[in-house]
Amino acid sequence: MIRVLALVAFVASTGCVTVAPQQRAILADPTMQFDAEARHEAALRHAIDNREGSMGGTGVAGGGCGCN
Amino acid sequence: MQLAKWPCALALIAMLLVPGRTTQAQVAELDTSHTVFYEAPTRTHMFVYTPSVDVQAGPWPWLEVRAGWEADVVSGASVSTKFGPVYHASHPADVVSTASVHDLRNMGGGEFTFKGDTTSLTGGYDYSTENDYQSHSLHVNARTDALQHNTQFALSYGRNFDRVCDRVQTETDPTRFTALETSTGCFTEDATRMTHPIGIDTFEASWAQSWTPIVETQLTYTAQLVDGFQSDPYRSIVLGEAVKAQEHEPNERARQAVTARLAVYLRGIKGALRFSLRGYSDTWAVRSGTAEAEFEKSLGDSLRLMVRGRFYKQSGAVFWSDDYTGGDPPLGPRGQYWTADRELSPFWSWLAGLRLAWTIEPARGRILGLLESFKLVGSASVTSFSYDEYTLGGTPVSDARAYVATASLVAGF
Repeated sequence: MIRVLALVAFVASTGCVTVAPQQRAILADPTMQFDAEARHEAALRHAIDNREGSMGGTGVAGGGCGCN
Repeated sequence: MQLAKWPCALALIAMLLVPGRTTQAQVAELDTSHTVFYEAPTRTHMFVYTPSVDVQAGPWPWLEVRAGWEADVVSGASVSTKFGPVYHASHPADVVSTASVHDLRNMGGGEFTFKGDTTSLTGGYDYSTENDYQSHSLHVNARTDALQHNTQFALSYGRNFDRVCDRVQTETDPTRFTALETSTGCFTEDATRMTHPIGIDTFEASWAQSWTPIVETQLTYTAQLVDGFQSDPYRSIVLGEAVKAQEHEPNERARQAVTARLAVYLRGIKGALRFSLRGYSDTWAVRSGTAEAEFEKSLGDSLRLMVRGRFYKQSGAVFWSDDYTGGDPPLGPRGQYWTADRELSPFWSWLAGLRLAWTIEPARGRILGLLESFKLVGSASVTSFSYDEYTLGGTPVSDARAYVATASLVAGF
């Protein structure tokens, strides 16, 4: 895991894939956002989390169980 | 129900936080969502209505304040005493029993985000209460951009201080523990009730990277430690002849997941494809894999349509058994723990859904002279579960299908 993270940090720090600011229009488009409607999706994620034995990848905030 | 007054209070707070700002820029946002969840698999059913209100304000460029309220209104029926096919074969007159469930969860909280040019720091708190569960939750998040915003790193930590209600047990042997029959008396001075603490630590690190003008990725690692009572206090499991005991799961659980996401924009059709893969494992020996694909396309200037598909598969917990009274593997006792939690059994599921978002952001002026922006979002999903081993007295669970629909309204002021 540490080797993978080190490789990731190295690749990121090289900057060899930098996208210029004027090229970021599409990246800023709502369709390209991983969590563009995060609050809208929260209840669905909560329901899925309570029907599966898994978690992860959707943030750390939370409160309560609501897991009937 | 005192918390039901929160939406009005939140709106008032947001207005107070933004005095004297010009009408040129959006300084506050009101977001309300309403979700219904319904499922009716064999012998049980569940209906949950989840309303929520969030108010977000940016009184200064370096500060963002958010406050929110959410509720779960739950009614249905769930399994209260479970046994498997071996026990049922010798007791054909017995049926797996169910109990009606009525609960109300209220959650209120807020967070502050301090923003710099390339960094942000968020801290927040949530409190939630329901008939048999109370939770205090703190979270912090640090985020930074690098390389002309092409790289983002984020670190998050959350800590829950929860309590769950249980009945006072008169025995010390867990095989003689009796399940909680009702939440009446919970969190009061009732001498027949007690609470168990649950501590939850969650850590998350993520790295997002723009590789080209149309390709972006995100890698997230999540780790969680849960320490405390994690069984369903209402559920009993038949362990043997005339032996029925409250569900008994380990108190400690360490969980971790790695999620990789990819977004690619397809210029020819003005839409984006998003893929997500997640691997998960924990110390209860649950292993799972999740694959998700979404396609979202702009329809004109103000509409976006998204369709999604999701596949999920998991193994069962090491102490999972459909019948603890015996039988050939995989049935039989599993050491010192027992559970009737179908979420801890091996199964796979699929989900399909769509989402439509309609956004109005006038280039000049305000909508009705008031709103800087306005967004309506609607979505509907269906998810189906296929259980490999979980049965109700040997009867497989059919119609294990859940329907989820959400409508949201977001208004910018």
